[in-house]
Amino acid sequence: MIEFPRDPQNSIPTSSVKIVGLGGAGANMLDRVALDGLEGAELLALNTDIRTLSGSVAGEQIQLGRNLTKGLGTGGDPELGNKAVQEAEDEIRASIKGRKIVFICVGLGGGTGSGAAPIVARVAREEGAFVVMFATMPFVFEGMRRREQAETALNELAVLSNALVTFDNGRMGELVLAKQGIHEAFAAADRMISESIKAVVRLVVRPGLINVGLDDLMTALRTTRSRCLFGSGISRGKDRAQKALRNALDSPLLDKGALLEDAQSVLVHLCGGEDLTLFEIELLMESLSKHVPAKAHVLFGAAVDPTMEDQLSITLVSSLPEERLRALPTEDKDRAKEERSLEPSMGFAAPTEPKVEAKVEPEPEPEPEWVQEPIEILAPDPEPEPEPEVDSKEEEIASDSKESEPVPEPEVEAEPEPEPKAAETSEPEEAAFFAEPEEGSDEDLEPEPEPEDDDEIPFAEPGPEPVKTGKQSGKSSSSTADDDLFGGDVGGGKAQSELSLDGGPKGRFEGADPSMIDGEDLDVPAFLRKKRH
Amino acid sequence: MARTKIHVGLEIGTSKICMVVGEVKSDGSVKILGVGQSKSVGVRKGEIYDFPQVRACVKDALVKAEDASDVEIGSVFLSVTGAHIQGVNHLGSYRLPDNEDTIEPEHVKEAKEIARAVAIPQDHVYIHHIIRRFGVDGFHHAASPIGLTGRTVDANFHIVHGIRSRIENQIKCVREMPLDVDDLVFAPIATAQVALDREARERGALVIDIGGGTTDYALYSDGMIEATGCIPVGGDHITNDIHLVTGLPFSKAETLKVREGDASGDSARSVGVVKLSDEKGFAEAEVKRQLLNDIIRQRLEETLGLLRRRLPDGAIERIGTGVFLSGGTSLMRGFGELAHEVFQRDIYRPEPPELSGVQASFKDPQFTTALGLIRYAQIVESDRAPKRGLLSKLWPFSR
Repeated sequence: MIEFPRDPQNSIPTSSVKIVGLGGAGANMLDRVALDGLEGAELLALNTDIRTLSGSVAGEQIQLGRNLTKGLGTGGDPELGNKAVQEAEDEIRASIKGRKIVFICVGLGGGTGSGAAPIVARVAREEGAFVVMFATMPFVFEGMRRREQAETALNELAVLSNALVTFDNGRMGELVLAKQGIHEAFAAADRMISESIKAVVRLVVRPGLINVGLDDLMTALRTTRSRCLFGSGISRGKDRAQKALRNALDSPLLDKGALLEDAQSVLVHLCGGEDLTLFEIELLMESLSKHVPAKAHVLFGAAVDPTMEDQLSITLVSSLPEERLRALPTEDKDRAKEERSLEPSMGFAAPTEPKVEAKVEPEPEPEPEWVQEPIEILAPDPEPEPEPEVDSKEEEIASDSKESEPVPEPEVEAEPEPEPKAAETSEPEEAAFFAEPEEGSDEDLEPEPEPEDDDEIPFAEPGPEPVKTGKQSGKSSSSTADDDLFGGDVGGGKAQSELSLDGGPKGRFEGADPSMIDGEDLDVPAFLRKKRH
Repeated sequence: MARTKIHVGLEIGTSKICMVVGEVKSDGSVKILGVGQSKSVGVRKGEIYDFPQVRACVKDALVKAEDASDVEIGSVFLSVTGAHIQGVNHLGSYRLPDNEDTIEPEHVKEAKEIARAVAIPQDHVYIHHIIRRFGVDGFHHAASPIGLTGRTVDANFHIVHGIRSRIENQIKCVREMPLDVDDLVFAPIATAQVALDREARERGALVIDIGGGTTDYALYSDGMIEATGCIPVGGDHITNDIHLVTGLPFSKAETLKVREGDASGDSARSVGVVKLSDEKGFAEAEVKRQLLNDIIRQRLEETLGLLRRRLPDGAIERIGTGVFLSGGTSLMRGFGELAHEVFQRDIYRPEPPELSGVQASFKDPQFTTALGLIRYAQIVESDRAPKRGLLSKLWPFSR
């Protein structure tokens, strides 16, 4: 057999990727990326505040405004931030030199972030790098002033960066349960951003069977002033394709897939072990097409990673213009082009640009009859949801999702989805992607500083992360609802899924939603449980 | 209210579906016109999992209720339960504008709005907003403080919420009869309407409705509702436990539970062996009484223990009147003794007051919730009728 080495030149070496954290919020995101473990990529922290800067875990740190602010913050003044970064421009230029991709993480609204980000972006562009900007917008309660500063900076960044991804802090509340602490909310938001960064890096850096690259990413994130839609899910075992997709759609940034309805282009990346079958991919894409409009441009990529073993992961990246988010109900559905263009980029070891011939062969997707059945599960409920009589009652059926209110909620079987939590949806996925042994433990141990610009209150991350390894088995993932009800007894971490699995016989309650209270499965006879202890 | 009005209560329980037709007379007394009862299939832990079956059962109960009462039923008060339903208390304060010092209706409204804004999970909806009490500058007022002088108005609400899709599906099931749903009522709140009189509420009382699939509770103290909730454990679990431990089939386990079970933990009642024989007289199974009673007792003890732990701190001490038991499983022998052991309070089985008609069977605790729905309807109705304006948003059955 003739060995045909797949050309590694295809991919961009990780050494040419640089992740820059700018300001207090940026430093927090950077820390999260670092602690989650991103192989190879260089991290650079920039800040005016020397205290925050020295606390950063980034390998490289540059102090801004050494003479101007003398190690203090900018006090929320973008002018000051702007001047401070100009002092250090040469240092930054030297640090970024020769990098192909530069990710800039920044929290807009404060002084350093808003003031310095445009300059850093410009410098990176001048050095010939592809600039992807991850920006968080301030909370509404932070006031108009900060909001305006953020908007101004965002407008500049939209022009200066190649791709701009914004996260709205106001949406942070949806990432976590209402009763969880504020540190958890910030941690979840950081985690979300770090997940997105990693997914993007992964996509760009690793060559796949069906490759997706920077150009595809740019297409997916093309719109300026957009909000990033991002979701990733992982699953194993029987029915893993469906489960992985469901987990991915659970991402709060996707609103259970409802937000994808309006996406113009969606980047889908699949990664599986060596037993990844074409059928599974078909099945998954078929289900996904229920959420993605027919006219949308689907950029599809797949990779086989032996370290995944029997797992399958899916990553969805898309963007939605901000004005669309608000005008979601009045969205006109009659844009032409009824045919979905599914364009797998066949990047088979071509020494040239892999994407050039990619778009040449659009692969029509076969739609076998029997695929339909499982898909029903994820189909959105066609029923318009508020029922007239429900309204006439005195209690109001609270309209919970602001933007997507009239969009039919996708209902998954009879059992309602567990509350989407960024942490759970995304964590197992990266663990498997990188298969780094220390990741899981890192995750649990590090303290999580809050991503506000000026404040210095370090929040300790509470205990071990409730890692729902149970995501991989449908049964325990559905137990989340019960867990939440009883004050979240999920502290058991990874033992959680174990517990519900070997809980004992359940008789007629076999297969029903388990009723977990204080880590005990109430469906198992008390008599048997007591005896065991 | 000058005229009589007919209300219908529907409870879709785990073991039975029960529809009660009641006539509320002008003097406020309730006459039960008829009851339709049907065995329930397709409900587990208080929640519907098999729609077609439940639909058939509700239909059956509807026909029976219409037959018995000679009333055409168009709408019902529906009780809901399930482990996903939670009750929380929330306080809202509103500070009056500087140039005003008399509390106006809109100030109270504002305070209420604030109190209602509880952070509930995304997929949840509100079932009840029950006003517990008002406050003016930190001083408690039972009734609306409109017209009083003060700087700040507080409104304290008890808010019950649950998962939207599950609740909507229950409504949908009833609507397919077709029946209209007048109102949704969280089961223990309905039960409390019958179980507790004003005095009991003032002195503090706990209602425990332990049915087939769930154990619902409502705690009242100082005349106000303080906590509500649901534990997804009921009589079915006992049957299931017996089945799992002894290996007997469900039907036999159920018979054993009902005929022989005892939860008191009295060793004198746990002597010997229970024999089950079929209709031909052959012995089918033998179970040691000790084992049987242990299984039952441990389950119920655990359930009551869980319930106790979920009550607010010090709430047990504030219960002056006692614990009211209802629901089918409360008929278990020795359950009262067990409950006394757990709560150390007086134990009562509720008796429906002021009912006239064919009601010998309504002393049965199995019907408490459905009867409570009628009572609830009566309270809501009488409250709505006189002042349709402002107070129509308010259900002061905590008074």
